[in-house]
Amino acid sequence: MFTTADRASAAALLVTSGLHADTPSHPARARLADAPSVVLDAFREVGYTFASGVPCSLLAGLFAALERGDSGIEYVAAPREDCAVGVATGALLAGRPSFVLMQNSGLGYCLNVITSLNMIYGLALPLVVSWRGRHEDAVEHDVIGARLPDLVASLGLAFIVLDPDRAAACVGEVVDRACSTRLPAILAVDANAKL
Amino acid sequence: MSLATQAALRTVLDAAAADFVVSTCGYPSRDLQAVGDRREHFYLVGSMGMAAPVALGVALTHPDRRIVAVDGDGSVAMNLGCLPMVAASGAQLVHVVLDNGLHESTGGQATVRPLDLPALALAAGYRSARTVEHLDELAALTFDATPALVHIPCAPRTAAIGARIRLTPAQLVARARAALDVPDPEENA
Repeated sequence: MFTTADRASAAALLVTSGLHADTPSHPARARLADAPSVVLDAFREVGYTFASGVPCSLLAGLFAALERGDSGIEYVAAPREDCAVGVATGALLAGRPSFVLMQNSGLGYCLNVITSLNMIYGLALPLVVSWRGRHEDAVEHDVIGARLPDLVASLGLAFIVLDPDRAAACVGEVVDRACSTRLPAILAVDANAKL
Repeated sequence: MSLATQAALRTVLDAAAADFVVSTCGYPSRDLQAVGDRREHFYLVGSMGMAAPVALGVALTHPDRRIVAVDGDGSVAMNLGCLPMVAASGAQLVHVVLDNGLHESTGGQATVRPLDLPALALAAGYRSARTVEHLDELAALTFDATPALVHIPCAPRTAAIGARIRLTPAQLVARARAALDVPDPEENA
């Protein structure tokens, strides 16, 4: 778990980066307003036309764009994250590149599907996973937020943290890692990169 | 009345000869392989509860084809939450549930199951759902209104259990894509 000092330094980092400044005209805000479409366009441009997921506030912009239905990506809302991985994996099996969006709290629900379906059948699914609890956050995110990289590393999966200044490149990287390893790969989205 | 699992599966396959099938892990996949292996069968060897979601992903990608999910009572109970998702899709999907009241693959422990699965499926939004207790009735099903659920009460198995799945998971993926006539998307990305 994060110590108080960790939390304080994380909060300071957020403030100095301007991401918590409540000024709509701030350049960081303007840049981030387009981030959901940059990410979805980057997936679509390399052939990803199907997505499923369970919402997270850090990914709210992505879900809004998918629910509007004008992203060129078919979206199926799932009741739980393992269902999202299941339906997207079915689409991938059937020949359509697909990806999943979820909060990191839902990754645990998916572990059996990831390990006994995707990882053994070689069905390479990019997972866009919010990283709640990396910085100051509600207490329920403390444990998974602190352990997320270790959890992913224990499975041997790629873990790429979204850099909002090069979002499209990060999407390309997670797709490349998934396809080259034939494994799921994780694109983590922390509060600095909220989409 | 309860049917023998393999006889029920044979009748389902006869009624779904042109369909792509996704089956749940454990004995149902092994029985399906024993009854009549073909490249349109995608056997799950793990990920219990995922037969219907995986079948849904296939169905939404190939809306011109009918897709069959073969589940057990234990595996459908593990993922009742997926029923509204399947229903909302309107997909051409037939959800077959073999129900012997047992986790037979793990030694015959009792399952936790709904009192009336077809009623539950209808409440979730499936366009048709029924319990079928006779092979001739099963053979006559036309599945006009989908997503459909077919609940088949089955007797505990007395015949030999089918062999473990012979193909590797990667081989199962390759032949599924051949059956669906699609390239390997990971190669193209």
